[in-house]
Order: sequence, then C-alpha cells, then structure tokens
Amino acid sequence: MVAALAVASVFFAPHRAVSSTSTGASSAVLVDKTSPNRTAQLSLGRTLYDDNCSSCHGTSAAGSALAPNLRGLGAGTVDLWVSSGWMPLANPTAQPTRKPPLFDRAETKDIARYVASLAPGGVPIPAVDLKGANAAEGFSVFALNCAPCHTITGAGDALAEGLNAPPLHGVTATEVAEAVRSGPGNMPRFSAFTVSNRQLADVVDYVTRHIEQPSNPGGLALGGVGPVAEGFVGLFVGVGLCVLIALWIGDRNEREDADEHGGDHASPGGHAAPGAEPEVVHV
Amino acid sequence: MIDKLFGWIDDRVALSRSGRHLLNKIFPDHWSFMIGEIALYSFIVLLLTGVFLTLYFVPSGSDVIYHGVYSPLKGQTVSEAFNSTVNLSFQVRGGLLMRQMHHWAANIFVGSIVVHMLRVFFTGAFRRPREMNWMLGTTLLILAIFNGFLGYSLPDDLISGTGIRIAFSITESIPFVGTYLGFFLFGGQYPGTAIIPRFFILHVLVLPLVIIGLLAGHLGMLVKHKHAQFRGRGARDDNVVGSPLWPTYAAKAGGFFFLTTGVTALLGAAVQINPIWQYGQYYAYKVSYAVQPDWYMGWLDGALRVMPSWEVHLPGHMIPTVFFPAVLLPGLTFNLIYAWPFIEARLTGDRAEHHLLERPRDQPLRTALGAAVFAFYFTLFGASATDVLANYLSLSLNLVLWSFRVLCIVVPLVVFPVAYKICLELQSTKGAGQRKRHNVVVRSAEGGYATVATPEYPGYIQPELDPVPLDDVDLVSAMARDGDDQADGVYRIPREYR
Amino acid sequence: MSDAPDSPTPEHAGSHVPSGTPVSVDAPQFQVAARHPRRTEGVVALAFVVALVSFAAFGGAYWQNANNYLLGITLGVALAAFGFGLVSWGKYLMPRGPFEEPRPQMATTEREREEFVGDFATRGKIAIERRGVLAKLMGAAGAVLGVVALFPLVRSLGPKPDSSMYHTTWRKGARLTAIDGRPVNTDDIDVGGIITVFPENDVGGALSQTVLIRIQATGDVVTGPGKETWGPHGYLAYSKVCTHAGCPVGLYQELTQQLLCPCHQSLFDVETGANPVFGPAPRPLPQLPLYVDSKGFLRAQSDFDEPIGPGFWYRGGSNGSPK
Repeated sequence: MVAALAVASVFFAPHRAVSSTSTGASSAVLVDKTSPNRTAQLSLGRTLYDDNCSSCHGTSAAGSALAPNLRGLGAGTVDLWVSSGWMPLANPTAQPTRKPPLFDRAETKDIARYVASLAPGGVPIPAVDLKGANAAEGFSVFALNCAPCHTITGAGDALAEGLNAPPLHGVTATEVAEAVRSGPGNMPRFSAFTVSNRQLADVVDYVTRHIEQPSNPGGLALGGVGPVAEGFVGLFVGVGLCVLIALWIGDRNEREDADEHGGDHASPGGHAAPGAEPEVVHV
Repeated sequence: MIDKLFGWIDDRVALSRSGRHLLNKIFPDHWSFMIGEIALYSFIVLLLTGVFLTLYFVPSGSDVIYHGVYSPLKGQTVSEAFNSTVNLSFQVRGGLLMRQMHHWAANIFVGSIVVHMLRVFFTGAFRRPREMNWMLGTTLLILAIFNGFLGYSLPDDLISGTGIRIAFSITESIPFVGTYLGFFLFGGQYPGTAIIPRFFILHVLVLPLVIIGLLAGHLGMLVKHKHAQFRGRGARDDNVVGSPLWPTYAAKAGGFFFLTTGVTALLGAAVQINPIWQYGQYYAYKVSYAVQPDWYMGWLDGALRVMPSWEVHLPGHMIPTVFFPAVLLPGLTFNLIYAWPFIEARLTGDRAEHHLLERPRDQPLRTALGAAVFAFYFTLFGASATDVLANYLSLSLNLVLWSFRVLCIVVPLVVFPVAYKICLELQSTKGAGQRKRHNVVVRSAEGGYATVATPEYPGYIQPELDPVPLDDVDLVSAMARDGDDQADGVYRIPREYR
Repeated sequence: MSDAPDSPTPEHAGSHVPSGTPVSVDAPQFQVAARHPRRTEGVVALAFVVALVSFAAFGGAYWQNANNYLLGITLGVALAAFGFGLVSWGKYLMPRGPFEEPRPQMATTEREREEFVGDFATRGKIAIERRGVLAKLMGAAGAVLGVVALFPLVRSLGPKPDSSMYHTTWRKGARLTAIDGRPVNTDDIDVGGIITVFPENDVGGALSQTVLIRIQATGDVVTGPGKETWGPHGYLAYSKVCTHAGCPVGLYQELTQQLLCPCHQSLFDVETGANPVFGPAPRPLPQLPLYVDSKGFLRAQSDFDEPIGPGFWYRGGSNGSPK
C-alpha cells in the first residue's frame, strides 16, 4: 500500500522539475487576464482549495506524502487537472480518467489562480485565440508531436506499465493548450520553440474541430483504431456473411448420417412413436 | 441471328463437340465447396474496382501541394500518390465507394482463401491427386498477401508508410543478400526514390497477371480432377454427385457472385476503411501510435512484437532479430504448408488416389494438428493488437505482451488435445451435428419419469435419392414439364417441425 | 401445378436407379426443390424487381452525385437482391437432383506412360545426337541469355548498399535543427520536453532523424563510460530510428523517462543511454554526442558512433563496425 501510494504520488506529479525550468511559458497566447475583483476571487479560490484539495496537497499547496507540490506550477496546470475532472482523484492508484468536473468554470479558475498566487512561475491559463488559425498546419504539427502517443485520429492508446495516452475527444481548447505547455503526467512538455504559439493555436484548432468531429464520409469509423478493427469487420462480417450465404446456397445434409437414421422413421405428426418402449426411470 | 453466329463459330472450333460435356459438369451441392468461390468472386471485384482506381491514381512520390476539398490538408506538401488517392475519394463520383469496396474485397479475398484452405486441409482434399493444386493454392495465398500489402502501401499515408519502413528493415535482415535486395527494391537506401511507382506496377500488373495465370491453372486442374466430394449415397471415387453446371449451377454460382459483390458494396457503403485523409501524408520522421498492417499481415506483426530481442552475432556479421519472426517464420510456415500432403502421405503410407473426402473427426490427429497450428497463427494475429487490447481492456501493455508470449506456446498445446478429444467424442456420438429430435418426458402415475421419443423431423424422413447419371437422361424434357403437374417438392423441412 | 400440402414421397426412399437405364421424367430427382414453386417464383420475381429498382436508384444517386452511403446502399441492395433472385432460381426452381457424372482416375496405365515417354525421349535423343554441336551451341546461347537477363535486375534497379548503411549525415559541428530549419539553442526546450531534430543540411532526413530530450535543467547527463560530455545542459539526443524494425521512436513517456516505439512497443530507458528495457528491440538507440557552441546552440560532436536503425547482415557485432 505504501508502495502504491508512492507510485501514485510520483505519477501524479504534474511535473518533476517544474520549478527549475529554464524557460517560462511566456507567450502571446498564454496570457492570464487579470480580472478587476481579484482579491475577492482569490479568497473564493482559497475556500474551495482548503475544502477540497488541502487534505492531500497541504494548506500551503506544498504537497504531502500523498500528493505532489503544486507551488510554482502555474494556474494553467491546476486548471487543466481540475477542469478535466482528473482532480479530485477517483482512484488514487490508477491514472486519472476524464470525468465531469466537480467545479464550474469560474470556480475552477478561482482555485487555479489561488494556487498560482502562492508561488511564482509555471503555466498561466491561456486565452486561446483561434482567429486565423490554420488547421492544416495544426494537422502537420499534430502528426509530428501528438500522434506518436495519442494516435493520428486522437483515439489514444496504451503506454507501458498500465498507463495510457488518453483519447482527445471532448477536450476543450484551453485544456489542449494547457496540456501542451504543462505536460501532465507522462506527457512531455512542449516549449514555445517546439510548438510556437501560432502553431499551438493551429493544433488546438485541428483538435477541437477535426479530431472532435472527424470527417467520416465512408461510414462507421470503428473507433478510429485502424486496421485491427477493420480486419475484424472484414473477417467476421465480410467473410462471415459470405460463408453464411454459402451455407444457404449449398446443401447442409450430412448424407452419410441420413442412412443411419433411415431405419427408424416414425409417422409424422404424432407425439409418441407407436410401439416405442418408454424408458421409465424411477426417482 | 445468334444461331447463325454460333453456327459460324462452331464450324471453325467445334464448340458443340466438347460443349455438351461441359454443360453436364457436376458440382457437389455441399456448402463448403463454395468458399473458394468467395475468393474467386472477390478477386473479380478487386479487378473491376481496381481498374476504376487506376484511372485516377497517380503512382508517383513527387511532391505536390494539396489543393483539394479536405480543409485540414489544404496547402500541405504531399506526394502525388497521396494527393490523387484523397482526390479520388472526395472528388471523383463514386470514387470513395470504389476505394472502400476495393479494400474490403481485399480483406475478404485473403480471408476466404484462408477459410477455403482450412476446408481443404481438414477434409483431406489435398491428398493425391490434388497435391499440386494444394501447392498452387498456397502460392495464390502468398501472392494475395503480397499484393494486399503492396496495395495497402500505395496511398503513401502515415500508417502504410510506416509499414513500408518495416518492410525495408525486414528485407535488409536477410543474411548475405538482404541489404542488396532492399537497395534494389527501393532504388537505394531507405526511403529510396522509386517505391511508389514500383509497388504500383507490381500491384496492378505483375502480381495480378501471375495470380490470374495461377488461378486458371488452379481451376483447370479442378476441372481435370473434378470436385472431390463427401461420402453419401451414390458418391464414389469414380463419380461426382451434385447438380449440373447448366443451368442449376450457373444460376447458383452466378447469383453467389452478385451476393458477394453486394456484401462488399454494403460494407463499402456503411463501414469506413482506411481513411487516409485522417492519417495524412507519410514522412519518415512522423509516426502514429496504433499502427498495424491489414489483418493478413497481422500475424507477422504479432510475431515481430512477441519475439524476444535475440540477435545472432557472428564475426563481422549479424542476424538481426526481425529475421526470425518476419523471414524465417513465414518461410517455414509456407514450406510446411507446401510439403504437408507429402508429409502426411509418408506418415500414413497412404499414397492412393482419393476423391471422397474425410470428415475432420475421422482423422483426429490431422484435425488436432491443424487446429493447433491454426490457433498458433491466430494467437500471433491477436498479438498484433497488443496496444489496442491493453488500451481497451485497461491492462498493462507489458502484461498483455507477456500474456501473448505465453499464449503463443500454451494455446496450441491446449488446442491440440482438446481438438483431438472432440474428434473422438464426435466419432462416438451418433448424429452429432444433426438437428436433435425433441424428447417428451412424461410422469407416470407411480411417480416415475419416462422419456418418449417424438418422431423424426420430416427432413430425416426425406429419402436420400440416388444420383441420376446425367448423360443417360433427358433433362430437357424433364425440365420442360417443370411446373405443369408436378407435386410440391420435398426438399425443405417444413417450418412447423423446427 | 398445385399448392397442395406436400406429399412426402417416402416410397422413393432407397429407390436405386440402375446406371444405363433411362430414368422416368417423373422421378423425384427431376422435381424442383421448392415446396411451393408458385410462391418461390413470386419471391424470385420480387427480388428481381427490388434489384431493378435499386439499380435504377444507384444510377440516380450517381447522377445526383449522392454521398458514399446512398451510392453503396443502392448498389449493394441491388446486387444482393439480384444475386438472391438468381440463386433462389437455381436452388429452388430447377431439378433438385442429385445427378452424377463419371470421373476418370488420374493415374495412367503403365502402357500409356511407356508409349508417351518412349516417343518423347527417343525422338529427342535422336534429334539431339544427330546434331550434337547445334544442341551445345543452342545451350550456350541460352545460358548467356539467362545470365544477361539478370543484369538489369542487378545493376539498374538501384545502387549497391553503400556507406549510408553505416553513417548518417551528422557531422562534427552540425547544428541540431528543427523540422522548420531553426537551430536549437540550450534555452529552447523545457525540462521534460522532446523535439525531433536533424542536421542542418539534411532536415527531414529519414536516417538522420534524432530525438532531443531534456531531462534536467543543468549539468551534463552521463549515460555511460566514454560518454561524459555527450549530454550537456541536461540534453540527450538519440537516433529516432528504432533498432528493431526501423520505426520512428517518437513516443516519449516523460514521467518514466522512457521512449516507446509505436510499432512494436520496444521500451528504451532514456536516462541510461536508451537501453531497451522491454519489447523486441535488441540494442540501445545510438546516442548522438552533443556540445554547446559559444552562442548556446546545440551541435553534434560527431556522427553516431555505430550504425543506426535495425540490424543487417553486414553490420558487425554489437558495436557495428563495418566489415
């Protein structure tokens, strides 16, 4: 159990060495808009944090044996983990899965900003501007940087040691941007050099429009997992149907056995064979 | 008019002299003889849809900028092959349907060949005099798999491109000649310059021609030997019992062609296959997870996955690990299939001519062996989906892979005795596989229970008729009477008795 | 023709038809298989009508440039209905049989074979022995043709395997360059980040593709003896070509610091020199030795120190020295 918790706490470290990153996630896209009534929101966020998060992450968000340090991660990281429903955890020993978030959008941001206010650094909550985004460029960047884990259709797939790259269906634009920059869990972090802010907007555009609603003019998409599913349909539906048709066209009688039955024809229609000796079993 | 034309031709080639015999060619009625026809018909669908596709496909790896209707690709640099495949899917009338039918037909083609081979194997239809046809059929299977892989590679999309990369690695793993073969095939070091046009001409001309030639030989030998057949009243080694080619079988087989094509068309309509526009152009440095080949290469992919990382190091040379699962394994597999008729003849000492087939249960050793070997390849096929299975079952990838490593050995070892035992059980069970009659259990006044047998189904009452030698009878006048005063047939089992 | 309830004909059971005697046209073998031929005719007719309508609908759909689903459904239904009608016709409305035809045995008699072989061998023997020189010349010419015919296969299909089997385009001083041509500076990648890089003169190269991973913020990462200077500023660079079957190893599990090959799931441990820890890959991914120039750009110290990618016959032992 201790080992499991240790594994869990390692796993859930959003990033092992965030505080020592050499580059801040500075960017035009990634700007946290400070709202006018900042103080009120921070106190709201603090209340929510204390009620829901502090038991594991500690009142100062410095982490504990159960959960990692959140200081210096930035509002974007916290926002991603809470808005995706990963946090609070449903099962502390397994990779968190997407579920309906516990807090609404405003509450989530309040928590995130409160945590971010405790220590400087990290990824801010991005304001993603998709005006003029180029999905084609996004597709290309996606294929190079995202498809190796999430698959080219965004279906997700298993990683080593029981973890997985989750499917990208149902994610929001903000979450995509936050994930790319903060690298949650096993996901690498993509700096503004690897994926520029311009390209990040393109990727977000591609994911939220074309991964979310793929163009499937050919019919059922079979989960977007490619030839494995297609092979099963080809074999069991395609060949299977054709063999069933052959069963109908052809003759199914086993002629050899018909001879063996030839001797004991009974008159049709009756329920009891005349002259048949009932075998009586006393119980 | 037609009479005159036929007369003119007949005078020059004497069609009618041998023709009447052909009309009377007998096809056995058992359904299992029609599985090979599925392969034949889906091959015809492949030819027809394939011709359509060649009208629009551009077999070139040259770069073009995509300007078609699919917006996420607009402005991307893609190859002509990829560009034209996307365009024929989106901008050619019926193009997507033809592409999808082509791909589905390929899946069905190889699949039905395998099922056909299983039928031939388990019923002993490969025995003398059909050994050569067995080997011809095996060659056709190999060619079908190769050609399927080539066709799968032509669109130059991200997933198939990764497959080509693996193919290059497998080629260069062959001792002595591997690197040379790879360089000659690809026109140089990977990724080469010539692969799309070369795969294209192999896919649309060379291999189809070879397949058609061998298919003609396969069917020619079938006509020469005539069909094998199951035991049954009147079926002997020196005759064939069934229905004549004209008109009964022409109608049945012709209809079956349209039904097979119909299944392909319905799949092409309703189930999307290989949406390359979602995959994008292949670049050597790009890759998607969940990459698999089409299913008929799946067992090789599975073998590549479960193979431990063993490499053979020799002074100055090495035998890479992929050689064993991807070259040695298929080599052994197909050579074993080729040699099986002769191996079995040696083991049993039975070298006589056979035209009557055996039921699988009557040859438990062969059946168990075949089932175990098939189970081995089926497990390998499953292993090609380790990542997808791990993801769907929420299991560890490592666990799934190790399971398959174990299963590859355990499954055949389990299947063999189970299949053997089932054969013995079936042998001793009368009427196994037949429809059972109901038994009515009656309670007597004393409290005893009695089982009272109900009558046989009328299908069993139906007499098995003796075959009529066609050459002796007047089928024409019999057919002319059809429907005039004929009593209803007795062929089908009335519904009320089911 | 009657639709009367079936009158099973058990009296025919076992009636043996002696070969050679004409069979009565009243024999059950000549009856159609349908129990109710009229009804069956109706079903077949309906099938053909459905086929006709669906074929016409397919034509209409094609004319209107309908979507794939409509095109395929109309075509599929039409073909299936047509086939169903045709098969039903053959199966239910034609003489049910069974019929038989004789089958000749394949084995020939001793005499047939002797005659054929005798003729073939004797004639050939005489022809060749009479003109022995001609036969030899013909054989020689044919042999030359056979050898020459191999030439295009051997020499024009592609070049012989060359040094590209052993060396990539990485050179001493080559800058690590992103796919869009920008050189990578030490400040450009976050800890936990990955990027695919190429030598600046071979961007997009299939064999020179390399993954650059930053596993710590400062200090050299040492993956093994002799590699003390290969990983400056927390950077490690490995060939992206899998040593198993050549797929791009683009899947980086940041938390466990492992590279996973998407094709056959080989797992490489980044921190310890990309040693394979799971799956079928037999060798580590070759590491590219790096250094940082005066302006902070990452450069290669040299090419990889062993052949990259999957093994091949002429690759030497584990260090892969060329033959």
